[in-house]
Amino acid sequence: MTDLAKPPATPADSARSARNSASDAREGLADAPQSYAQLTWSRLRHHRLAIFGAIGLVIIVVLFIFGPWLNKYGFDERNVRDRRQGPSREHPFGTDPIGRDLYVRILTGGRYSIRIAAIVAITSTLIGTIAGAMAGFFGKWVDAVVSQLINLVLIVPALIILLIFSRKFGANPLGIAMVLSALLWTRIARVVRGVVMQFKEQEFVQAARAAGASNMRIVFRHILPNVVGAVVVEVTLLVGTAIVLESTLSFLGLGVQPPTPTLGNLVYQEKGEINNDPIRVLIPGMFVVGIVLFVNFLGDGLRDALDPKTKVEKE
Amino acid sequence: MFAYTIRRVLTTIPLLIVALYLVHVGVSYTTDPLGSLRLCLPRCQDGYDLVVQAYDLDKSIWVRPFTWMGNAIRGDFGNSEAYNQPVSRALRVRGTNTLFLAVPAFVIAAFLGVLLSVYSARRPYSVGDYTFTGLSFVGLALPTFVLGLILQVILGVKLNEWFGVKPFITGTMKRGSIGEYISSGTLPILTLAFVSIAELSRFGRAAMLEVVNSDFIRTARSKGISERRVIWRHALRNALIPLVTLWALTFAALLGGSVVTESIFSWPGLGQAFLTAIAKPDLDLMMGITILASIIAIGFNLIADVLYGVLDPRIRYD
Repeated sequence: MTDLAKPPATPADSARSARNSASDAREGLADAPQSYAQLTWSRLRHHRLAIFGAIGLVIIVVLFIFGPWLNKYGFDERNVRDRRQGPSREHPFGTDPIGRDLYVRILTGGRYSIRIAAIVAITSTLIGTIAGAMAGFFGKWVDAVVSQLINLVLIVPALIILLIFSRKFGANPLGIAMVLSALLWTRIARVVRGVVMQFKEQEFVQAARAAGASNMRIVFRHILPNVVGAVVVEVTLLVGTAIVLESTLSFLGLGVQPPTPTLGNLVYQEKGEINNDPIRVLIPGMFVVGIVLFVNFLGDGLRDALDPKTKVEKE
Repeated sequence: MFAYTIRRVLTTIPLLIVALYLVHVGVSYTTDPLGSLRLCLPRCQDGYDLVVQAYDLDKSIWVRPFTWMGNAIRGDFGNSEAYNQPVSRALRVRGTNTLFLAVPAFVIAAFLGVLLSVYSARRPYSVGDYTFTGLSFVGLALPTFVLGLILQVILGVKLNEWFGVKPFITGTMKRGSIGEYISSGTLPILTLAFVSIAELSRFGRAAMLEVVNSDFIRTARSKGISERRVIWRHALRNALIPLVTLWALTFAALLGGSVVTESIFSWPGLGQAFLTAIAKPDLDLMMGITILASIIAIGFNLIADVLYGVLDPRIRYD
């Protein structure tokens, strides 16, 4: 700890300033000040896995959105003559037992899966943030109600609840998105509640209150911006969970019903073919693995990047 | 600690009752036990009335759970229509089958999880560490149905096609002799264990790395204790404290029955029974499995918290 040592009694000015700038550089004082967002961004940029995940996700999503148009077949167009074909130039992923092109079906299915995950992410973030913020901010009975609701969802294993309700509501994409959101908002709510409780007693909130800010203003302008980081990480990981749960339900035949394809029910429909042509059956599953893997990479990177304690690597 | 346990149990029981009530209402709302009977109505009025009587279908769905709960408190969980036997017996048989998967899967996962985390902590950022960390990332991203199908195809079918050996039976459960049990149970057990290993080793690696870099480990090393002893006696014991809670939760999840794994490998456990109950629909069996799975989840959560306090004297529950 050289900077704690007293400076020499009669230092030459030049030597002293050289030493200071050296220690400034060591402590980061020489750098221009950066905002939290800038620091986060530069930490994220240097997180190789996170960037890898982000690029992979973008590629997959772009493929899902534009891919089906690159092929002339419709997702439920039958060509019985071409049934059960392996991959070829005409059908990159082959065809199913009634001759539908699997390339188009899988990418369209991916489109539905991504759409479901996006709806789940948006609704459960909205519900979770509002419920968590109210619980954390108002405490007392509001907190009791929200906390018990969260515990209620945790008591019964999630898949059981999903299986029961997806039978009636899960047949169409919007329904299954609603069922999943009804379950997954609790994860967001728990995080938000914790952060809000931590912030609501701090001085800047008291200052805002002293200045006459209303409860709404305190929550939305002063406290919730601090929650964004934690929620972003949680939502990223939640997208992965939603896709896995949706495809699992569809795989069990209880999620989205045909003819609407999703990544899960494509595997479910082709399951019987797995001994003859495993690759064709597993491609939709591999897309699920890819999405979840990339989402987890990105989520982990974001968590590290949003943590102020993580050091930025210097180039 | 004792008071804490009692308090936890007492606060959870009302929640459990509310949860079961809501599940019952949900099931009644989403299923219709009269489905096929409606079609033959004037002809089979007697049978129709019998079913209505048996399931209280003439009452509001908000009232029906109370009848079920009243019976459940007296130990009568009703009759499973799908298996044509009392729910408690169906649960016992199916639960034992699930145990035959859950226990070995858990033992393998816990054992390998610890080995991998110790390895990663001793050689952090080595090739092996990166390989295992990468594998655990993949393991966490693999949905059970993809992993199960892959194992089934490679080890169950392709092995036979390529080498003409068929070591594993897929698609049924046999536990007549130990050999049959191993050959039919290995693949589902592997499927269940793989996901748990990924989670446990990832968590264990973080816990071990944190402990290995702490001061008392440096002290232990500076005293001249052998590295083996430092790792296995000093570091591992402390890293195990947070791991034990994760063990409890993992085991609870396995015990509840894995719907997907059991359905892929046709293992007649709790998970598959639940699918059967939903398809039927068999309300009493569904409620029986729900209450069993919930109690397992709650119980092991509690065990995890209590164990945490027992193992780590710094934690106090007052």
